[in-house]
Amino acid sequence: MAKISEEFQEILKIAASTPGYDHFDHKKGAYALINANKVVDYHEIEGVHIEAYETDDGVKALIDIEEGVQLVEPVHLCFGDVRKNGRQVIESHITVGRGAKVDFLAHCVFPHAEKFLHAMEGTVEVGEGANVSYKELHYHGPESQMEVRPVTKVKVNKGGRYVNDFTLVEGKVGSLDIDIDIDAVGEGSRVELTSKVYGKADDSVKIQDVVKLSGKNSSALIKTRTVLKDHSVGSFMGMIDGAAPGAKGHVDCTEVVQGHAIADASPVVRASHPEAEVTHEAAIGRIADDKIAGLMAKGLTSDEAIDMIVSGLLK
Amino acid sequence: MGTTLLSVDSITVRRENTTILKDMSLKVESGEVTGVLGRNGAGKSSLAYALMGLPDYIPVKGSITFLGKDITRWSITDRAKAGLTLAWQLPARYEGISIRDYLRTGTKGCSERDLEESMDFIQMNTTFLDRAIDKSLSGGERKRIELASIYLMKPRLAILDEPDSGVDLLALREVLGLLRLLADQGSGVMVITHREDVAAGCDRSYLMCDGRIVLEGSAGAVKRYFMSQCRPCDGCEVGEVMRRG
Repeated sequence: MAKISEEFQEILKIAASTPGYDHFDHKKGAYALINANKVVDYHEIEGVHIEAYETDDGVKALIDIEEGVQLVEPVHLCFGDVRKNGRQVIESHITVGRGAKVDFLAHCVFPHAEKFLHAMEGTVEVGEGANVSYKELHYHGPESQMEVRPVTKVKVNKGGRYVNDFTLVEGKVGSLDIDIDIDAVGEGSRVELTSKVYGKADDSVKIQDVVKLSGKNSSALIKTRTVLKDHSVGSFMGMIDGAAPGAKGHVDCTEVVQGHAIADASPVVRASHPEAEVTHEAAIGRIADDKIAGLMAKGLTSDEAIDMIVSGLLK
Repeated sequence: MGTTLLSVDSITVRRENTTILKDMSLKVESGEVTGVLGRNGAGKSSLAYALMGLPDYIPVKGSITFLGKDITRWSITDRAKAGLTLAWQLPARYEGISIRDYLRTGTKGCSERDLEESMDFIQMNTTFLDRAIDKSLSGGERKRIELASIYLMKPRLAILDEPDSGVDLLALREVLGLLRLLADQGSGVMVITHREDVAAGCDRSYLMCDGRIVLEGSAGAVKRYFMSQCRPCDGCEVGEVMRRG
């Protein structure tokens, strides 16, 4: 590993404190470490090719996983910036070859950000029979007025599986606008999207997950867990379009609202093929009294009970 | 006879302009299993909620004394900390909270061995400890976890609201075993039920009808009365509480 600057050490230290990091071994795994618009370091291993170019306000990265590669260690992507103000625009293109298996672990760490834009424009192509997970963990500072704009387009080919897990529960969100658009084009392809966000103060959370099931017998699950408190606002739109015979999808949305927060949820299910089946469930509102009372009857205070319930929901 | 743990004196509870508990009095002693028997809608769960201190069930009249202290206005938390707890008829589910963490809530210094012992007691595999208390558990499994929680908490007074509902016959034996075990350890137990076979396992029972206690006495006498006299009705015409057995 190249000599890492002191400021990026701070970013790595925060990343290391998040769940899942302990499974990563920088000596064995592939990685790319990005600070502002600088490529701090990257490491390729057999079957994993990384190209990263610095742009005016960010980085363009091309990641190619060869056909049949079975990775034990996740590919670690760490995007960070220690500045208070600025912008970082990441353009990423990931291609996973036929039958490959890879887990991506992405950390986005902005510990001091106040006015800051972190935009991500990404594409992912999941090859036939490939198994891909992309886990993204954010950490923002307590005074964050971050703008986070991840826009991702994914194509999942025959028998492929794509799992996306987005978590932003540490620090202050700022303004989050997730836009994921997935086309499960291949027969038997599978998609799972999970978003967990904890909004506080004047945070704004917008999540738009769209999955088109155009492959025969393809399937999708969209799951969001959002907790909003204080004066934060949240909006969720999850849509699955069953557009092929045997396609099955389910949208599962839970938004918990506390204080003066406002939330809306729109699970949209569309069956554009008569042999598709798409269902949804949505729960929105404050934490049910029976859940709080159940824990209070074990000696927790009301606030402790709510904290425990919220922690579980966002775990 | 043990010492009086809980004394309920002439409480009346109103909810949404309806009187749901009427001038009700009862006692629970330590080392004793006290049954509260009644048909559906008699007000048994409302009594449990009032004793546990749910905000909508605070008495407008009368008092509740626990371990010599007037707890009528105490919060749920304070009652629990004093040693009173409730196993709910329909226990809540908690997404993302493991059974291990749930069982550790409310227990001090609970070891892994204690947890395993509690799972063994309710005849559930210890692999369940890592599972979440969410909708993946059946109603019966959720009830058993509630029993394990009570087993570990060892409260001074445990109120069990319909502990038999949704559990199979095997689990029913565990339920009755837990009641007796807690009582043998010196706790007081109040079991709320509409099943006469559960009530028969109590030391002493009360019969509830239409938000009132209508009969108190030995478990056998109350059970006999319940089986022979109680039918769906508009409420008993009983002025005074009957005492039998």
